[in-house]
Amino acid sequence: MTEPLVKITDLSLWYEKYRALDSITTDFHAGKCVVICGPSGSGKSSLLRCVNRLEEFQEGDVLFDGQSLRNCPDIAAVRSEIGMVFQHFELYPHMSIIDNITLAPRYAKKKPKAAAEAHAMALLDRVGIADQARKYPAELSGGQQQRAAIARALALEPKLMLFDEPTSALDPEMIVEVLRVMRDLARDGMTMLVVTHEMAFAREVSDEIIFMDAGRIVERKETPDFFANPHSKRAQDFLDRILMKI
Amino acid sequence: MDWAVIPANLPFLMKGLWVSFQLAIFVIALSFPLACVIAIGRISNRWWIRYPSATFVNAMRSNPLILIVFWFFFLVPLIIGRPVGDFASVMIAFVVFFSAYFTEIIRSGIQSVDRNQIQAGISTGLTYFQVMRMIVLPQAMRNMMPALVTECIIIFQGTTIAYVIGLREFLNSTFLVTERTIRPVELYLFAAMVYFTVCFAGSCLARYLEKKKVRTR
Repeated sequence: MTEPLVKITDLSLWYEKYRALDSITTDFHAGKCVVICGPSGSGKSSLLRCVNRLEEFQEGDVLFDGQSLRNCPDIAAVRSEIGMVFQHFELYPHMSIIDNITLAPRYAKKKPKAAAEAHAMALLDRVGIADQARKYPAELSGGQQQRAAIARALALEPKLMLFDEPTSALDPEMIVEVLRVMRDLARDGMTMLVVTHEMAFAREVSDEIIFMDAGRIVERKETPDFFANPHSKRAQDFLDRILMKI
Repeated sequence: MDWAVIPANLPFLMKGLWVSFQLAIFVIALSFPLACVIAIGRISNRWWIRYPSATFVNAMRSNPLILIVFWFFFLVPLIIGRPVGDFASVMIAFVVFFSAYFTEIIRSGIQSVDRNQIQAGISTGLTYFQVMRMIVLPQAMRNMMPALVTECIIIFQGTTIAYVIGLREFLNSTFLVTERTIRPVELYLFAAMVYFTVCFAGSCLARYLEKKKVRTR
């Protein structure tokens, strides 16, 4: 087996006295799509945000591509290899879509403007909104904004993509267009960590599923196996509730 | 009514108005950058930067402007052992006083920008200062523009306080002419008209910026 792209060891995270992550040890391999699910407050988002150190964890370490995030001389350089997609898109409202996408390539990766814009246009085409390039975020629908945000993350040419509940803020008919883009990404071999409640997506697209509760990983299984026979009681209850088996 | 008194004394009055404008412009130009620095200090994580910044702002906002003016006019020369010019002493007092108000406007402007915007920028590998400069401050600026313009109007009106130490700004010039001509009604009406024109134009600009802000949100 090759070295994992992300290796997490004994990771703990506190918010004041509250322990959000409780000594987590796990790893993620390149080319895999892993869905992280669990009840709210279980630490899914916190775990995701430790992978690019948006959360400053207190114990343990995250190795990204062999680089320790705890003792990292240039965390910005590491972050520029990890794309992140947020629940509320977080596009910059004062910039056009194309400027949103080219900002980090130009200023964090020092890419020339013309090359950054050509790449951005190709990415917008890939997510299906090339015609929106010159508009401002407020002029786009929620689904289009989230696809633009995915394009912004892809513009970093990342080795890893983090999705933090990317469809939770969207209307049902817009969820599909975002999930389709994510599915195509996974099929193209992008390494993805996805926090989501979309279990249909998880079942169809992901390779593995992690179930979390109370800051710990309760269960980690290959996707078909997870749905067929979830091991723990908590995962069973969660699945029953989310798949609305009453 | 004898309105001829105004054209007759217009050059003198306009010289006073020019002093008022100069004072306001210098004060705005100096206190704004100072306030930017203090505002960033106000939201710093480090207590030894945050506390002094907060103390300064609170001290200035809890004192009347006229006292700060007196303080610089009477006390500073005693401390440094030589007189400070009228204009300079008033200007420094104003800069110190109004930078406290600008600080609060800028601080709330920066804090009006969603914290997730910072995280989004950071997550793409931009540094904290790049995120501040290219993502947070432009949005903060747009949010606080109306309040900044309003504060500039207040500063312009505030220049009349310089009267108390005898600086020949517009109001003092008007007063000097009334002393000489005994035409207070005409002259003070004229002064009111001038202040109204300048301040009303300013508040129209503030209202326009406010509308623009709401539209582009």
